[in-house]
Amino acid sequence: MSSSILTARNLSKVVPSTEGELTILHDLSLELVSGGSLAIVGSSGSGKSTLLGLLAGLDLPSSGSVVLAGNNLASLDEDQRARVRAEHVGFVFQSFQLLDSLNALENVMLPLELEGHTDARQRARTLLDRVGLGQRLTHYPRQLSGGEQQRVAIARAFAAEPAVLFADEPTGNLDSHTGERISDLLFELNQERGATLVLVTHDERLAHRCQRLIRLEGGHLVDHVEP
Amino acid sequence: MKQLPFTRLLSLASRQLLRDARAGELRVLFFALLIAVAASTAIGYFSARLNDGMLLRATEFLAADLRLTGSSPSAPEQISTGKQLGLEHAQLVEFSSVVASDAGIQLASIKAADSAYPLRGELKSAAALYDAEQIGTGPQPGEAWAEARLFVALNLKPGDSVEVGAKTLRLTRVLTFLPDEAGDFYSLTPHLLMHLDDLAATGVVQPGSRVRYQELWRGEADALAQYRQGITLAPNQRLEDAKDGNRQVGSALGRAERYLNLASLAAVLLAGVAVALSAARFAARRFDASALLRCLGLSRNQALGLFSLQLALLGITASLIGALLGWLAQLALFNLLQDLLPAQIPPGGLWPALAGMATGLVALAGFALPPLAALGRVPPLRVLRRDLLPVPASSWLVYGAALLALGLIMWRLSLDLQLTFALLGGGLVTALLLGGLLLLGLQSLRRMLAGASLPWRLGLGQLLRHPLAAAGQSLAFGLIILAMALIALLRGELLDTWQDQLPENAPNHFALNILPADKYAFAARLNELSPHPAPLFPVVPGRLVMINGEPVRQIVSKESQGERAIRRDLSLTWAEDLPADNNLIAGNWWTDANTSELPGVSVESELAESLQLKLGDRLSFSVGGLNRDAVVSSLREVDWNNFQPNFYMIFQPGTLQDLPVTYLTSFYLPPQYEKQLVELSRAFPAVTLLQVEALLEQLRSILAQVTLAIEFVLLFVLAAGLAVLFAGLQATLDERIRQGALLRALGAERKLLIKARRAEFGLLGASSGLLAAFGCELISFLLYRFAFDLTWQPHPWLLLLPLIGALLVGTAGVLGTRRALNISPLTVLREG
Repeated sequence: MSSSILTARNLSKVVPSTEGELTILHDLSLELVSGGSLAIVGSSGSGKSTLLGLLAGLDLPSSGSVVLAGNNLASLDEDQRARVRAEHVGFVFQSFQLLDSLNALENVMLPLELEGHTDARQRARTLLDRVGLGQRLTHYPRQLSGGEQQRVAIARAFAAEPAVLFADEPTGNLDSHTGERISDLLFELNQERGATLVLVTHDERLAHRCQRLIRLEGGHLVDHVEP
Repeated sequence: MKQLPFTRLLSLASRQLLRDARAGELRVLFFALLIAVAASTAIGYFSARLNDGMLLRATEFLAADLRLTGSSPSAPEQISTGKQLGLEHAQLVEFSSVVASDAGIQLASIKAADSAYPLRGELKSAAALYDAEQIGTGPQPGEAWAEARLFVALNLKPGDSVEVGAKTLRLTRVLTFLPDEAGDFYSLTPHLLMHLDDLAATGVVQPGSRVRYQELWRGEADALAQYRQGITLAPNQRLEDAKDGNRQVGSALGRAERYLNLASLAAVLLAGVAVALSAARFAARRFDASALLRCLGLSRNQALGLFSLQLALLGITASLIGALLGWLAQLALFNLLQDLLPAQIPPGGLWPALAGMATGLVALAGFALPPLAALGRVPPLRVLRRDLLPVPASSWLVYGAALLALGLIMWRLSLDLQLTFALLGGGLVTALLLGGLLLLGLQSLRRMLAGASLPWRLGLGQLLRHPLAAAGQSLAFGLIILAMALIALLRGELLDTWQDQLPENAPNHFALNILPADKYAFAARLNELSPHPAPLFPVVPGRLVMINGEPVRQIVSKESQGERAIRRDLSLTWAEDLPADNNLIAGNWWTDANTSELPGVSVESELAESLQLKLGDRLSFSVGGLNRDAVVSSLREVDWNNFQPNFYMIFQPGTLQDLPVTYLTSFYLPPQYEKQLVELSRAFPAVTLLQVEALLEQLRSILAQVTLAIEFVLLFVLAAGLAVLFAGLQATLDERIRQGALLRALGAERKLLIKARRAEFGLLGASSGLLAAFGCELISFLLYRFAFDLTWQPHPWLLLLPLIGALLVGTAGVLGTRRALNISPLTVLREG
């Protein structure tokens, strides 16, 4: 049995609204072992992205705790959480989120450099080769198609060899064919690198490729499937 | 889509504008406009009102706002015209005449004035010799006031009678201050003030006698201007206002006015930059909306019209509020400075507010046009493909229009074509040249960057990604630094010039009529009292009668400076050495080898020009009934502002020694030495002591106001510049917020982001500073040379500008984009 890499206990998130306080996540707990994969599904506004943000330490819960790679996120300040993210976390976003001012190679180098790797360039080049963009290293995001941009984003996500990879609707902005190929790539790399994958998606087919699946409705956990 | 009626478009535009405003979309542009209009309005009001206030002070030197002078009585219609215009009027007749008493006679300068005199400034007198001064109206008919030296010369005391021509007048008070004679301390004869009603009875003024008739006028500027235009001047008449009236005040005012104009222009330039930056952002953020509207069926022109209307509505609102704010700001300022400023400050009228609003609107139109035109060309396909940008336009044409608009505003504000061209042309040439260099520099930076550390690569990557935008931004910041540096530079220069002109211990007394017998004793006593008295200059009164054998009267035109110089006795002197502050511009100072059989004379250059004298001309003087000839051997520039004895004619030593001579000097005496002054005058009764402290005070207070104005205007320009700097940073905030959030999500610490920002803005600031240093030197050279008449020298401290720019823009950049540093990384998830 592998050790736990990500643990959430009694997570709640309350936000102020014009009609008083609004609870967007209710008392949610889960635990993820190293190398596993989890899909979070649910309709729009069900709290998927909120949960992802909390798990990745991008935001803090109103109550409850998240322990990521042995770090209790609630006890860390934003800079300390940033360090945890740099060391242990990778991201893939729906809208790719590449830096326009950097070319493909530099975008992939970024997390490596944040961690202070000296061989950033070499490793980034290898990864871009792996995602099939070895010929487009010096292209800027504007010069790449959506699918290509997401490949760069995936290469970037795996560059620092994260323990946990968070993917937020990674195929949401892509056509089904390209989306298929991107999700293949995502799972392949996940297997190769032994990372834990947390995936937020609408796409039931994609969700079912994960080992576990949780379904959210109105901030409540309504279904927990372990295929 | 069918034609949209204008009202529908208008209501659509205003609704859209309200929505945009609610969403916080218009903050930057609105703010930039507000600053632009408020700053130019406030500076406009400040300088206009202060200028009016200063002119008001200066009018005291004329005792009126406007003075009509002539050698014959004014025509009745010249007087009735002024009265019809509602101007206040006073009449004055000036002549020289002998004043007689039992003790003897004395030549005096006599002023016969009506009861309205003076219309500006104050008349001061004392009840007895050396008593305290009092302010009040002039003598009644039958009375006269005389200066102390007339009392001393004729051994009189208040209450005694004197005869002026056929009329006997009772001397009731000692005249201590005539506002319109304050500057004329070279006059050798004492003044006597009498009532105009007694003039006819004296019988002194006959046809052909040497008399100056003056009509004094006071009133609203408009009415005065109408009067100027409405009357016809006889050949022997001229009109003077405050600026013509006094040399020292005239030059100080002239420079101050130019300076204040320049500061307004700098504010306008800054405003233009601010509006340009934010208008570009306004347009860029509307590309999507424009494409969508086109998809929904709006024609290109309709889309363009819609955005133009939005801009116009925004511009008018911001201009109105900005003008109000500017007006309030200057009101608060004048309120704060109440104690330092003259009690009467004209309100300034509506013009500065209108000019301020026009400035904002024209800048908006000029600078928002190019991006707006681009909006009309957004292809509808952008809805599907966001990377589609509008096709490039002939921006040169549009930017040309913007520059033209700016030039027009600047010219209208300054009414000074030279200044406008120097500023606009210098700015443009600098911008183009250095913008090009900057672009090249940035490109070559790209190669060096490969080996740089991450913060540098992140920071500079931002600049290199859009080199054109970076060059533009650097230019904009450069302009701001340039404007601020230039204004600071000129302020220092002007203040120094004035400080030199009026040092703390500038002579405040003149001593005239020092007899040869008293010469050494007087000089010795003066040395005990005053730290640095001027040398004693011998004076022989004499009149220039012929030039090269021709009578002077036939050569010189009426009412020229030359005419004024020859119609009275000049103080002729001789000197071994060239006096301090005199500058030889032609010929030689005395040499042993004087080849001419006639003695040499050195002539003041302006007089020489007016009399058309050249080296070698033969001048004949009438001195004490004798004729003396001399040859023009040199021409001198004289600093008339230095309160030292100055002379039109300086003779070669040994030429006039045989004539009856008195001595003249000037010296500084601290105000508390009043008692010693009285003792001095009692010890040397024949010596006339003239206090010019009042004049100095008047000048100092005017200069203090000008200085104050300059400092406050500088403050305004600085504030406007900084605000513009932040507005410029706002323009790139969206992109930075996104980038900041993403980097945070990827695990970057705050420190790294701050370092990257510092690298980016530091470099931007340094290049802006470099640009500003070059531009500032170029423009200051042009301005000194052509607008301010100052000697230009390089300013090494400008080399600090890159450092200052890096610090300023670096700090402002990090502060201004703080939001992008503190942004929650969670926003990357929400953007989708």
